[in-house]
Amino acid sequence: MLGDLGTATLAAGLLGATLAALLWLRVALLAAPARPARAATTLTVLAAAAACAVLETALLRHDFSVRYVAENGGRHVSVPDTVTSLWSALDGSLLLWSLVLCGYAALLARRRHPPRLHAYAMAVVSVVATFFFALSALAANPFRDVHPVPIDGPGPNPLLQQHPAMAVHPPLLYAGYLGLVVPFALALAAPLAGDQGRGWLRLARPWTLAAWTALTAGIGLGAWWSYAVLGWGGYWVWDPVENASLLPWLTATAFLHTARVGGTRHARWNAVLACASFVLVLLGTFLTRSGAIASVHAFTESPLGPLLLGLVLLAVLAATLLAGRRDVAPAETPAPPLLSRATAVLVNGVLLVTIAATVLIGTVAPLLTEPLTGERVSVGPGYYHRTAVPLAVAVLLLAGVAPALRRAGDRAGVRRLLVPAAAALATVAAVGLSSRPGLPALTAFGAAAFTLTGLAAELGSAPRRRLRAVRLAAVLAHAGLALVAVGVAGSSAYGQVTERTVRVGETLRVADVSARLVSVDRSTTGGRMVVRARLAVTGDGTSRTVTPGLWYDPARDTAVTVPRIDTGPWRDTYLTLLAVAADGGSATVRLAVNPLVGVLWCGGALMAAGGLLAFGGSLRRRRRGPAPPARPATRVEVAA
Amino acid sequence: MSPRRSLRLLVVAALLAAAAVGLLRSSSSGPDTDPVRTVAGGLRCPACQGESVADSASPIAAAMRQSVAEQLAQGRSPAEIRRWFVERYGTDVLADPPARGVSLLLWAVPALALLAAGAAALRTLRPRRPEEAAGRAGPVARRRTPGSAAPPTPRGPTARRLWWVSSAGVTLLVVAVAVAAGQTGRPAPAAPPADPVAVTLQLARDLEGQQRYDAAAALYREALRDRPDDGIQLRLAFALLRADDAAGAERAVREVLARSPESPDGLLVLGLAQRRTRPAEAPSTLRRFLTLAPHHPAAAEIRRLLDS
Amino acid sequence: MTAGPARRLPAGRLTALLLVVTVGGLLAAGLRAGPEPSPAAGDPTPVPAPALAGATLDGGRFDLAGARGQVVLVNVFASWCGPCRDELPLLAEAARRWSPRGLRIVGLNLRDGPEAVRALLAETGVADLTVLPDPDGIRAVAWGVRGVPETFVVDRDGRIVARRQGVVDRAWLDRWVAPRLAAP
Repeated sequence: MLGDLGTATLAAGLLGATLAALLWLRVALLAAPARPARAATTLTVLAAAAACAVLETALLRHDFSVRYVAENGGRHVSVPDTVTSLWSALDGSLLLWSLVLCGYAALLARRRHPPRLHAYAMAVVSVVATFFFALSALAANPFRDVHPVPIDGPGPNPLLQQHPAMAVHPPLLYAGYLGLVVPFALALAAPLAGDQGRGWLRLARPWTLAAWTALTAGIGLGAWWSYAVLGWGGYWVWDPVENASLLPWLTATAFLHTARVGGTRHARWNAVLACASFVLVLLGTFLTRSGAIASVHAFTESPLGPLLLGLVLLAVLAATLLAGRRDVAPAETPAPPLLSRATAVLVNGVLLVTIAATVLIGTVAPLLTEPLTGERVSVGPGYYHRTAVPLAVAVLLLAGVAPALRRAGDRAGVRRLLVPAAAALATVAAVGLSSRPGLPALTAFGAAAFTLTGLAAELGSAPRRRLRAVRLAAVLAHAGLALVAVGVAGSSAYGQVTERTVRVGETLRVADVSARLVSVDRSTTGGRMVVRARLAVTGDGTSRTVTPGLWYDPARDTAVTVPRIDTGPWRDTYLTLLAVAADGGSATVRLAVNPLVGVLWCGGALMAAGGLLAFGGSLRRRRRGPAPPARPATRVEVAA
Repeated sequence: MSPRRSLRLLVVAALLAAAAVGLLRSSSSGPDTDPVRTVAGGLRCPACQGESVADSASPIAAAMRQSVAEQLAQGRSPAEIRRWFVERYGTDVLADPPARGVSLLLWAVPALALLAAGAAALRTLRPRRPEEAAGRAGPVARRRTPGSAAPPTPRGPTARRLWWVSSAGVTLLVVAVAVAAGQTGRPAPAAPPADPVAVTLQLARDLEGQQRYDAAAALYREALRDRPDDGIQLRLAFALLRADDAAGAERAVREVLARSPESPDGLLVLGLAQRRTRPAEAPSTLRRFLTLAPHHPAAAEIRRLLDS
Repeated sequence: MTAGPARRLPAGRLTALLLVVTVGGLLAAGLRAGPEPSPAAGDPTPVPAPALAGATLDGGRFDLAGARGQVVLVNVFASWCGPCRDELPLLAEAARRWSPRGLRIVGLNLRDGPEAVRALLAETGVADLTVLPDPDGIRAVAWGVRGVPETFVVDRDGRIVARRQGVVDRAWLDRWVAPRLAAP
């Protein structure tokens, strides 16, 4: 029943999206009225919402005749986990993906000016939506029925069931990924729309900022989730899924900067970066959703692989043919002086693009080398540590230099860097002489000190003029980046870990923290065996009880460690139960002390806050009515 | 030079020197690094995703750490140990791929990206004289004089034709997805989804393994409530028998035998239960079991029982 | 959605397109090759099996070198591994069926306790399996084991002719073991 209804909504969505694509093309090419096209877009978003609602209902009503529910639902699963299991597997998350995409399409459809630019952009978005609806309806329909109807399902992957971050992480990430479709569509539409295409950067900015903010928050939450759940105390392993989320973030960050400062001079950069961001979103989807970059965890061979690859190639093709085709004659803008924000932004772009290329080749290397040599090259974190990390430190340094270059060609700018440089040197000296964090961490500390001091000076000098939201947003985001660097460097350089099998009553020790195993309790609840180790942890002059656990879920034959983190102001004590002796008399426990992880999360939050503030600012400016012609505006910004 | 200025210079020089010493000190690895951890950190755990042998909690990674420790104790060099692992696990096991062959791509691509992006940035920054800029934009601009097939404003029949072509393209996209989806087909799910009854049964079997037959029997009863099944009923009877509840076992197994009187397992459990409850009837039940299933795994044991 | 009649593409863009197509083709080929390096099949080139000798669980001794002339199935398992539990009865049946034709099955018990193994063997009805305990897993690592269960077929000349990561099934045994056994 529900299954048929769901399939019908998917069909309606496919029809709506196709219609929308065709009608918007009519608007763009034949200057047809936009009302029917807008109606088709509304139909599409309604169909997407209905499809999600039907699947959600089926999950909540435990309708196991629906394939997705049979594979991912379960009577023993709590209601919140059932709700979020909509996006715990491929087919369901594809529905959410379509919903978010159509949501963006509907929002974009509400704008009317300039008409041709919007119509072309809407056509591009609609074509993308058509593709994903076709995927859902034809290749990965979650509503197909199951025979015979099982009595119960296994529930979603147990790893996804135990952390609140998992409830918001995928929707946020999707909001980030798919928001990038708007700058992509506008960049493609601009050369087609003739003179109306000139203003596309200004139109794209709020969308890009919203997407960037969501993506930043999503990546941060994902890191937090893997830190709190996966049990080995790390938050980033350069795994393909993580890399796929980082790639568009890098190019979108570069785009936000070049679009802001460069003016017409950076037209080519803007077009390429806007297109690259969404192409990388699609590429990431292909890499992680096709089972192409596999791990021991990927068992199913998905038919989506070739289709997604086709879409990636199509997008690249469209971007290469269209974007940036309009050669803007750069004669009017004089070359900026070498020491200017325009230069800094370009260097930033070069660095971020190089990091993106590094992460990309590292991620696809196994796929590329297999047909060439028959052997899969593996790329571990060591590769990224030697390539991407130094470049990232350089980006951080640049973030510290840029505010000093406020006034283009201003010699005093260089002098303004003196204090931050001294702060950086002092930090390096103090940290390097008092401990041995290793070269990368030490330079990261120095760069962070440099940037933070520069930003503080910027804030300090601001009150004379009223601090504009945009400047404050930039300060927040850059400070966030510096804090993230401090957190990453600190936790990787000073983290300490020990792993031992201890009998009840024995103690593990690391740094000045000790953990005594008090007892091991077992229980069987809700079809799941749960073992908990009770440990008395002493450190920082206090003592408390921490109980890491170990679940065995026979339905999926997986054992899941449930680590416990005791969060302090400057460091986390991280306990994982790895194994328990059959008699319950001893347990293998991993005790880690991770300093400065809290700083990392704060930094991430600060970056997202900066993005949000900038987004608000860009909306406000848009509401103030049509801005004066783009060029003078950018010139003012360069000078401001 | 004013005293203020020289003081400032002095401070900068001192800071520079201190920072240099700090960097130098930090670049040499400390004396407290664990060689096992260093070697294990360069190996990738074959059973996990993205984790090194040093970090992974998986049993095979633990075994590999132990193996590294043992080989280090035998006096092998880290390079020899790495080679030993490559012989067994392939180059895949190295966390950092060697920079040769195709792996060179890993270093060439970032370098090329840096060069290309840098060149593009230089071109953007280079001061261009107006005539040069005009010369560059010239051919493009000439080709784009308004009216001559310019994309900005296609009109009338051209636009209509374009619309038809684009519509065909969009339709083709949908058709392509449909065809590709039909061709690849969806493979059957790797494993049939487990249900809670199976979970309960698995737990019960585990409890039996721990000789906690009472608890196992309770779980079998629970499973039977959800899914009446002779196989589960027989396991229940067997668990009851092992829990010294022969009467309960007999009751349970009689229900099975009422439905299928020829069930060898049913007869076997009944016979074993009867040895406790009414020993007189047991031999005949067990003999019937032997005639029905002479090759049953338990047959030899039963023969021995009957003979003794 | 290419607008207008075909125009000559600038050289840079043409190069980019070619590059994209090439990379796309490679990716597609990589996709076709599948995620697993040697998907569960046998190893095409036989390699000499590493040494495997030591005291067995029941106090006896086993040496792979002494088993030349027999086909040996080495099954790496552990009591903490669910799939191993499911696969043991099949292996026991294979042993019953094929031991007259020269098959020997050895269990390499990875990082486990003797009581737990004995309980597992008793429960799955394979108490007579030859089991070599490998409490710290060093032997398994020397065999290049990636996880449990994993199964190797060693032929009469002591070479590994097939290996399987994950659970074996009857078809796999029929394909890789049966042809190497003596005629019944």
